[in-house]
Amino acid sequence: MRKRLRVLVPAAGLMLTAAGTALFAQFQSGSYGSTKTSSLEQTVHPQLSRDGNFSVAPFPSFVPELAEGEGRAETQGFCAACHSTRYITMQPPLPAATWDAEVNKMIKTFGAPIPDVSAKKIISYLQEHYTPENRKQ
Amino acid sequence: MKLLSAAGGLAIGKWPHAGGFAQQLPVDKEVEPFTGPGPNPHWNSVGPYVSEPQKAPLILLTDRPVQLETPRSYFQSAFTPNDAFYVRWHLSDIPNRVDLPEWRLRIEGSVNKPQTLSLSDLVEKFKPVSVTAVNQCSGNSRSRFQPRVAGGQWGNGAMGNAMWTGVLLRELLDAAGVKEGSVQAQFQGLETGPGPKGSGSNVFLKSLELSDSALQEAVVAYLMNGEPLPMLNGFPVRLVVPGYFATYWMKCLTWIRVLSTPDENFWMKTGYRVPDTPRGNTTPEEMKAGGAKTVPISRMPVRSFLISPDGSSKIPAGMNVTLRGIAFSGYGKIVKVEISDDGAKTWRAAQLGEDHGAYSFRTWEARWTPKIPGSYTLEVRATDEKGKVQPDEPVWNPGGYLWNKIEKQEVVVGKVS
Repeated sequence: MRKRLRVLVPAAGLMLTAAGTALFAQFQSGSYGSTKTSSLEQTVHPQLSRDGNFSVAPFPSFVPELAEGEGRAETQGFCAACHSTRYITMQPPLPAATWDAEVNKMIKTFGAPIPDVSAKKIISYLQEHYTPENRKQ
Repeated sequence: MKLLSAAGGLAIGKWPHAGGFAQQLPVDKEVEPFTGPGPNPHWNSVGPYVSEPQKAPLILLTDRPVQLETPRSYFQSAFTPNDAFYVRWHLSDIPNRVDLPEWRLRIEGSVNKPQTLSLSDLVEKFKPVSVTAVNQCSGNSRSRFQPRVAGGQWGNGAMGNAMWTGVLLRELLDAAGVKEGSVQAQFQGLETGPGPKGSGSNVFLKSLELSDSALQEAVVAYLMNGEPLPMLNGFPVRLVVPGYFATYWMKCLTWIRVLSTPDENFWMKTGYRVPDTPRGNTTPEEMKAGGAKTVPISRMPVRSFLISPDGSSKIPAGMNVTLRGIAFSGYGKIVKVEISDDGAKTWRAAQLGEDHGAYSFRTWEARWTPKIPGSYTLEVRATDEKGKVQPDEPVWNPGGYLWNKIEKQEVVVGKVS
């Protein structure tokens, strides 16, 4: 293929100074993009013993960045007592009334011990940053 | 010399420099961090790939408790590899370790002879049985709902198919001697949460009616595709309820409790319930007005998926392409899979793959030769042995359950000459 190109390119009267990437009429090759997308660290397996304990490594944490604003500390503190705050960032933008209902479900149905004043702050924080009108991240 | 005439189509002065070539290629964009308020347009959910113990890189929904989705390409075969099988837990304290010499499966409650069984008891004292069955999360495809509902924002990958080997649940119940007048069997695994004792945030409990036909077919499985279960999929044993949604497939099953009165715990009385209407449908308006009568979710409606081609690259016009995918139904065998490329005006039958049993994924394939360049919408629909066909209408309920609308895939066919 390469040999053929050497013949073809001068015949076209073109000067190709491709550094790293080659572009020819019939194909393009050698283009590499950013490594950021889809990169993932490898892990090493833990030491194992011959006893009857069957174990796996700790499950990794992937703590998301919550939107900056009044009530973020309460949201992180109280919500993360039972679950990762990815439960918040995973959601689609939800209407204000839904966030109110979700926080109240955590308190009334699931027994989350959140004082009234903090619950109000958490609800307004979620309504301020995670609705269709205002969600950015 | 034909190649040169192509080159001649470019203005010489506009040949890009080497550094600029990447701009000329269709570069994959990073998927957005969330979708909505419209439906998630992607086949899978939008989280990053993460590496969890005993698992291939899977798509992260949440890390505590762990919820991971299986990428689309794993569904090209009928059996989902254990390390790629999706993961869904409810409560944060899930086992990292099981001490097998200590661990026992307990059968208690309304029984004459309570049982305490080690893993070797299960393996050696009872007849092993195998069943191939699809495990699908009740909320699979929840991110398609309009309006969107809160909950795990799964794409289509909260499902998997495996051959499960273990002991028939009814044999274990027989060994324990269910007392007359008992109504349900309740299942509890090793997951717990920090919530108040007995509440839904403290313990995850599910129950089946003793008279339920699904209970008759249920298996307490210690092998998944012939291997021990990954911890995240329920090591050392999990309940397998062929045809039923995964909510009943208790992981790390440790207590089977026979009940003389119906289970009133949160996960039966409030959670995992669907409107008692055709397809479990209701509307946000009806919910505001008090909502429909609900029943516990049970069997999985018929579904089918196109796995390949996935729309990520072009198909050359005139080339023969094999469309491939899977289909299944919780109501029994898949009898027909059809595809359409003309907006559902005409359908043609796909070839069904090997039959691994009524509750398994059934692979299918169909030849497709698009002659004219352009955009095509490929649609796939399945029919099960009860005659149920996938509809093109969406479903809506507040839990985000029972999605089984016809799947569609845009594909682009490009010029060859």
